[in-house]
Amino acid sequence: MKLPREVYIAGVGETVFGKRKEDFEILGRQAAFEAIKTSKIDRPDVIQSAYCGNATNGMVTGQTILKDIGLVGKASMVNVESACSAGAMAVHMAIKDVAYGITECSLGLGAENHTLHRETGTAFTPAMNDIETVHGAVMTGKYSMRATRYMYETGATIEDLAMITVKNRGHATNNPYAWFKGKVSVEEVVNSRMIAYPMTLHQCCGIADGAGAVVVCSKDMIKKLGVDKPVRVAGSVVTSGPYHNRPRDITGDDITEATSDLLYEQSGIGPEDVDIVELHDAFTIAELLYYECMRFCKRGEGLQFLRDGQSTHGGKCVFSARGGMLSYGHPIGASGAAQIAANVKQLRGECPGYQVEGAKVAMSHVTGGGLSGTEHAACTMHMLVRGW
Amino acid sequence: MAKEEKKQRDPDITFFHPDLLEVPEDCSSPFLKGYRCKSCGQLDFPNLNPCPNCWGEEFEIVPLSRRGKLYSYADIFIGQPGLQTPYIIGYVDLPENLRIFAMLDGEVGSFQCGEEVELTVGEIRKNRDGLPILSYKFKKVNG
Ligand SMILES: [Zn+2]
Repeated sequence: MKLPREVYIAGVGETVFGKRKEDFEILGRQAAFEAIKTSKIDRPDVIQSAYCGNATNGMVTGQTILKDIGLVGKASMVNVESACSAGAMAVHMAIKDVAYGITECSLGLGAENHTLHRETGTAFTPAMNDIETVHGAVMTGKYSMRATRYMYETGATIEDLAMITVKNRGHATNNPYAWFKGKVSVEEVVNSRMIAYPMTLHQCCGIADGAGAVVVCSKDMIKKLGVDKPVRVAGSVVTSGPYHNRPRDITGDDITEATSDLLYEQSGIGPEDVDIVELHDAFTIAELLYYECMRFCKRGEGLQFLRDGQSTHGGKCVFSARGGMLSYGHPIGASGAAQIAANVKQLRGECPGYQVEGAKVAMSHVTGGGLSGTEHAACTMHMLVRGW
Repeated sequence: MAKEEKKQRDPDITFFHPDLLEVPEDCSSPFLKGYRCKSCGQLDFPNLNPCPNCWGEEFEIVPLSRRGKLYSYADIFIGQPGLQTPYIIGYVDLPENLRIFAMLDGEVGSFQCGEEVELTVGEIRKNRDGLPILSYKFKKVNG
């Protein structure tokens, strides 16, 4: 379904990602205020609704973040939780408000601090009332099973998977917001600590803290604010994951395939026109599978697509241009909003040292939630286009 | 799900879960319990009530095959808080067109996609009193 009226992004903000001493509300406020200032908004009553994505930091996170900058009491606020999809879903809700004419200007943000609040040396786990969790499921293990099956079917090796980390961290070399970046060799990635075979430490996103924020507006409001590099929201789609308890192909990803198709339909833009993709590269195998799921290449050709350099600068489309989650780390409620912030900066040509030259179209994708019987509980995708 | 939550709050649970797994008292082989919807015939594991296909609420319990094919697996070296590592998880496809997520009994590095495995009963974790919780697991056919 098409958006009923045009929606534009006025401004974005992101924090430096990594292990942060500041709690989620400070990080969230920093990203939100940067998004507001780059939107040329100069007073607190312009934003009419705000959505905050967070997964683990407690209740009323949005109000906690936004009260000190004068937004409470003026904007309606809804707090959004859907594990890793939360931040992008918050932006989606803001877009919906503007698209349906409920507001002229809305804020979507995601913020999370994990490292101040959790036990180190353990893996993320879905809730304990989940039948798979009781039997030992962890996210690393679920992705490792996908990798193992993919390797079994295609002959891909652990070295092939490691190339994703090498590529993404290379992309992030000059990105001041990324955490793990720069040169790393396939050997170093393969020989890093084994987490769940074949996923080694450097093939898993770091448990990080951070925030991202996005201000969205109607076309009239963009003109009123005098924003000179508008970015149009061509599509914004949220789906829930189908339930299965029967054999299925986990080297595909039903929810990513379905959400991509809906996004292509809504935006009228196909994969051949996309210059940048930020996707849910929480683990190397995910990026490899999603080349195919998002129709950038045919089934079974993802590995060749990677080996041929089609997913980096000079190829068909730059995947994880900011460095992806493998470089940023993954504060689960924040990542989806931060991906959108990074894509907007790319479309505005504001990424010195990691700019994708001439980028006109950028797509983002984030799944969420290890729920038994689903590949993922949620998936949120956005398509952004430079200019009017 | 509500039932499972209740079990979890109970500190003395040592068996997970009577609606899923039957360990007969006569020492015959344990089996997983499939649930066939009496109105539409759909077979599910675990029990989904009402039936997600037709919302029927009456079911016939069907013992599921004890052997299946290992679709994929993972040797876990960094696991859940409180679980001893390494441990192994896997998806087992049964002939009834059902996929079971379970822990595997055996050595890390010893499993392969596509191999036949069979049902066993063993410890999946400790309860709050430090006692083993037993549940369904799978192992190599000749292991
Ligand atoms: Zn039925």
